[in-house]
Amino acid sequence: MCDCDGCEQMMQPYLDRALTEEQRLEAEAHLDDCSYCRKRYRFEETLRVYVRQAVEEEPMPPELKERLAALRTPLL
Amino acid sequence: MGTALLVSPEMSETGSETAARRIATEERDRARFEEDALALSDQVYRVARHMVGSREEAEDLVQETYARAFRSWRTFQPGTNLRAWLLRILTNLNIDRGRKQQRTPETQPLEEGDYFLYNRLEESVGDGGGEAEERVIERLSQDDIVNALAAVPHDFRDVIVLVDLGDFSYQDAAQILDIPIGTVMSRLHRGRRVLKRELAETATEAD
Repeated sequence: MCDCDGCEQMMQPYLDRALTEEQRLEAEAHLDDCSYCRKRYRFEETLRVYVRQAVEEEPMPPELKERLAALRTPLL
Repeated sequence: MGTALLVSPEMSETGSETAARRIATEERDRARFEEDALALSDQVYRVARHMVGSREEAEDLVQETYARAFRSWRTFQPGTNLRAWLLRILTNLNIDRGRKQQRTPETQPLEEGDYFLYNRLEESVGDGGGEAEERVIERLSQDDIVNALAAVPHDFRDVIVLVDLGDFSYQDAAQILDIPIGTVMSRLHRGRRVLKRELAETATEAD
């Protein structure tokens, strides 16, 4: 059983699915009982999605796409 | 050895047909490689855009990456990760362009933990219930997020860009950046904390 400090330490590897099975169960057991940590985990997930969406909104300039296509080797 | 000279006209025709077929196959493989690489250009650009300081620099870097990739396409092993291969070229070119290794101390403790941003937002919005903090985050503009990311030291930012935005595994990120996997993990961990600290400043200012 981990405490909230331990649970905080496990948040990033948990969301990255990098915990061992045993650690994951330990984190989930704590999350089931602790709304303080649960809120913070859920928030972190939302934040990651939000950051990704913000960054994906800037598309590649079409002129660059054309310049890249022009680099192709002409067919014989 | 002397017998090799006794090649009949038929055999030599077969030989040239074989050579022609080989060239045609190579042409086809090259064309397919170039198509596959171009299909990944949006993703390559997105990584480049957040690895370097400006849009112009990112465009130059991507163009240079593709020029080099098309020249050395034979060194790509079919069946391996083409996106990672392209980004490895991009990273090397970026270093060749004079990007210095950053002297960001990796061991210096960050006083903020992983709950820092949430706790700061909770303080700033008061006891508004579970989703108030998420509403504050939604008030951050795209520029706020992009600027916060840009403020993260680039050694940390590269790892965030590859893993969180590019969906690369720790292992792939380690290969692309040519650093040990443990360094990927520690930079990712610290980089995300720095990003959250930057966001916390913006989010609470905006409040």
